[in-house]
Amino acid sequence: MAKEYTPFFYSDFSTYYTKDYTYRDDNTNTRYNDQIVKEWHDYFGQQLGKKDLEYLLLKTSAKGIDSVYQNFQGKIKVLPDSMPQLKTLKLDKKQVNSFFEYLSLAKSAEDFSAKYQEYYGWDEKPNYAAPKSMELSLLTAFQKTKDPFIKQRLWFQLVRYYYFLERSTGVKPVKDSQLIKAFDTYKDTFPKNMIYYRTLGYVAGRHYLAKDYATSNYLFSLCYNYASEMKIPAKWAFHPNEEADWKQSLAMAKSKEEKITLWHLLGIYFDTERAIPEIIALDPKSEKLDLLLSRVVNITESSRSGYWGGKEDSTKTLRANTALVSGIALKNNTSKPYFWNLAAGYLNFMNKNYAQAAKFYQAAKTQLPKDNALIMAQYKILDWGLYIRQLKKIDAKAEAKMVEPLNWFARLKEGKDTIPDLRFYQSLNESLGVISSLYKKQGDPVKANIFSNYHEFYTNNQNIESLKSLMQKSNQSPFEKAMLHYYPYKLEDLYFFQATVLVYQERLDEAIAFLAKSNRAGTMLLGNPFNMRMNDCHDCDHQMAQSKKFSSMSMLKMMKNLKDELTAGRNVYNNANLLANAYYNITHYGNARAFYESELTDSYSSYAMGIPAPFRPMLLSGKIAEKYYLIAREATKSKEQKARCTFMASKCERNESYNRSYELPENKNAGYWSVKTDPVYFGRYFSVLRQQYADTRFYQEALNECGYFRKYASKTR
Amino acid sequence: MMMIPGPFLHRLFLACLLFVSALSSCKRESNADAAFYYWKQTLTLNKAQHQVLDEVAAGKLYLRFFDIKWDDHAGKAHPEAIISFKEPVNTTKLTPVVFITNQTFEKLSLAGVDSLAMQSNTLLQHLAQAQKINYQSVQFDCDWSLGTKDKYFQFLKSFKAISKKQLEATIRLHQVKYQVKTGIPPVDRGILMFYNMGKLSPKPEDPNSIYNPKDAATYISYLPKYGLPLDIALPLFSWSVHIRNGEIIQVYGKIGKKELSNTENFQPAADKNVYKALRSFFTGGVYVKTDDLFKLEETDKALLEQAAIQLAEHLNKKEHKTIIYYEIGNLNISTFKTKDFEEISAHF
Repeated sequence: MAKEYTPFFYSDFSTYYTKDYTYRDDNTNTRYNDQIVKEWHDYFGQQLGKKDLEYLLLKTSAKGIDSVYQNFQGKIKVLPDSMPQLKTLKLDKKQVNSFFEYLSLAKSAEDFSAKYQEYYGWDEKPNYAAPKSMELSLLTAFQKTKDPFIKQRLWFQLVRYYYFLERSTGVKPVKDSQLIKAFDTYKDTFPKNMIYYRTLGYVAGRHYLAKDYATSNYLFSLCYNYASEMKIPAKWAFHPNEEADWKQSLAMAKSKEEKITLWHLLGIYFDTERAIPEIIALDPKSEKLDLLLSRVVNITESSRSGYWGGKEDSTKTLRANTALVSGIALKNNTSKPYFWNLAAGYLNFMNKNYAQAAKFYQAAKTQLPKDNALIMAQYKILDWGLYIRQLKKIDAKAEAKMVEPLNWFARLKEGKDTIPDLRFYQSLNESLGVISSLYKKQGDPVKANIFSNYHEFYTNNQNIESLKSLMQKSNQSPFEKAMLHYYPYKLEDLYFFQATVLVYQERLDEAIAFLAKSNRAGTMLLGNPFNMRMNDCHDCDHQMAQSKKFSSMSMLKMMKNLKDELTAGRNVYNNANLLANAYYNITHYGNARAFYESELTDSYSSYAMGIPAPFRPMLLSGKIAEKYYLIAREATKSKEQKARCTFMASKCERNESYNRSYELPENKNAGYWSVKTDPVYFGRYFSVLRQQYADTRFYQEALNECGYFRKYASKTR
Repeated sequence: MMMIPGPFLHRLFLACLLFVSALSSCKRESNADAAFYYWKQTLTLNKAQHQVLDEVAAGKLYLRFFDIKWDDHAGKAHPEAIISFKEPVNTTKLTPVVFITNQTFEKLSLAGVDSLAMQSNTLLQHLAQAQKINYQSVQFDCDWSLGTKDKYFQFLKSFKAISKKQLEATIRLHQVKYQVKTGIPPVDRGILMFYNMGKLSPKPEDPNSIYNPKDAATYISYLPKYGLPLDIALPLFSWSVHIRNGEIIQVYGKIGKKELSNTENFQPAADKNVYKALRSFFTGGVYVKTDDLFKLEETDKALLEQAAIQLAEHLNKKEHKTIIYYEIGNLNISTFKTKDFEEISAHF
């Protein structure tokens, strides 16, 4: 693969994509800088350093150039250290004089040719017109100089000058163009080097302005072919207008190679599938096929899985491209047959022709360059993907076979091994998904969950216990060891999850024991979980001054004490009330979400629907809280307290009605933005409040604080 | 999508015509002026277009001055496709029009709205002064949405305060139907865009998206209740929809019946006005691939007349209004004659 195309990743925002390539790189006039500096470095016989040249050629202003020159001539004695000190160098005086003469002209030409800046139409449009007066200075300098190196550069300046002049003064026919005249008169006197092709680029541009697209495209293709630096500008300008002018461009091509370049350009820009057979017919060994082959694969992939899912007729593209690439691979006469075999295998794989895919991979295997780690790794990934896709079930033999690749991937994933530029995450993740669903089908939830974590797994405590014992097993098999690299959680995470479950099962003793084995005992809660307010307000609770801060563990211990007291029948109202508050606050609706939130349960969500369905009954339900509010109400004689307990129970009742909605079949695929809830605003507890406690002070307080209740009360009056 | 059988449509159409002409003897003269939009970037009209402009609209022109778009790169709004005058404007009846993308208001902060209004007014004045154009009102074209309503309306208020001109805003059919939700822009007049009512669809069988009576019918009954005096914009344009693998690639004004009737390149597909590419080729800078579909959506006099009749029924004939034809820059003089415009405007 030509260096300028590597490492060859697809992105839709740049033309030739390397790792560090950005959108801006497509649109810059700095692409020739290295080359320019190098050429002048050679001109001065390596006596003038690259740093100094960079300063003079690329960085400083006309004034800076002048100062350096005057210093060289002895007119300025001292220059700041940051500026090139040419006096101290052994330079040919004549060369230096020519250089500065050229540089001053080149610098002023930048005003119209290279200073383009983004401008916004609110302001006056900047004027990039070439000044009429400059023509004479350029022509005079060009005629005067005998130095061929400088002469060619002045020729470039002249042609470029005419390009901008003729563009801004109205485009005349090509036959009247000064630019074309200047180019044609001298074109054979100069070597065909980079500056020659840059000059040719302006000739192509002049034909473009005259709408002679046939010539313009042909000339641009020559530039494209010359050097990687010219590929992007030439590609951007490539623009056939009618089929006739495209055919004319092809007819202008003087060799097979030139025709191939034209087809290559058509292929990357417009129609890869049309270009490939044309190039194959001209020269199957052409390097210009490589980029197009990768495009075919990209096109096929994106036709199948567009951003919005599969597209219509996608199989048509897949089938056509599979046939195209397979046909070429089978002929086996390209310069890198393994690329074609790998691509043909992969396209057949996407097409579900697994046997066919295997044949192509097999053919590729014998041709691969063994010393190229990247290609070898790519082959391995493709081969692995095919093997996994073909598995019907996973037995001991299959597991044994998977050990090596699983360990290989694990080392890459964990960064213990790297193969520069290799991308493997998507293929790996897809294969892990396939393995997981096979195990699920085989009735092995533990392995299924290790390869691809799924929430339902945790609703069965036996599953968790099995997983734990596998993780703690001292004599793990090689496969078990390899497999466990893919399980994202630790033993502590499982203990924590089990502790949470036990709390909601009201098995506080056991919960405390499990929490101690997790790494979450010290999680600090943001608010006091034993407080309660009429309207839920987490931020208020979190900001309130708290004389005692609770951690998960200290909360559980306090809850256990409350429950013990309650069981013993002591201070029932208070203890039940506090316990109810805590049980309310450790649900999603309460002020202590930090207690349950974890990556394993994927429950960091600020809306109830965001909590995965298997965990919702546990994390959303207010039934336990409601139960203790009712116990508290039962235990007190105070009507005020009874009213308060009733109101708190009504909150649990309302939350429960939301929870029910989330599980309705019509909300199965809904998001939090589209879920249809049918909340019970006015439940049975409101009616009890209204009927039995209307004479309490709390009743008035509830009317003031709670809009729902106010509405209810006014309706039922 | 259900298709209305051709003959039925034809009969319906005839019936409508008869109905109207029967009434015309006892009806007052039309109370509408005609005018044209000009939407291209360079103002230049050929002789025939000048003649139509003078004869049909007495020179009344709505001239697009520039677009305002959002530049993601720079993170600010900027004008694009600013008009350039290749010939002097020889009409005094000229209204500048500014098109603003809805995305501009999606991205612009509320705090940035006033300065955008200021910049727009300055640019407008600048462009008009250079041509010695004296304008009384300014028209804005923006397909605003619920999310951008506040910012767009604030922009209009602010622009009015700065410019002290009469303001007009284009109104889409859905904005008429859902006026309570989408709001009524704070301007002096609205211009009902009576086109692009259907969804641009890659399905060959779907009806003309520029105008079709069925889509129109779902909106027009709401017209009498609309909260602004309305002028009417009617379409004169045709385009073809380029479809590949079931997806719309682009819409072209320059590929029409003439290009699609070239049997070397295309053959008619099963659905009416749909053409299938027989080979891969370039045409007018567009690359066409074998099996691509082109759906031709045309406006001709018959279609326009049908639209006018359907629409006029829901408008108050006593109110004076302007019928603005979109647009004169690409007008094909062989499709529409002065007489045609007079007949169509007479329905209002």
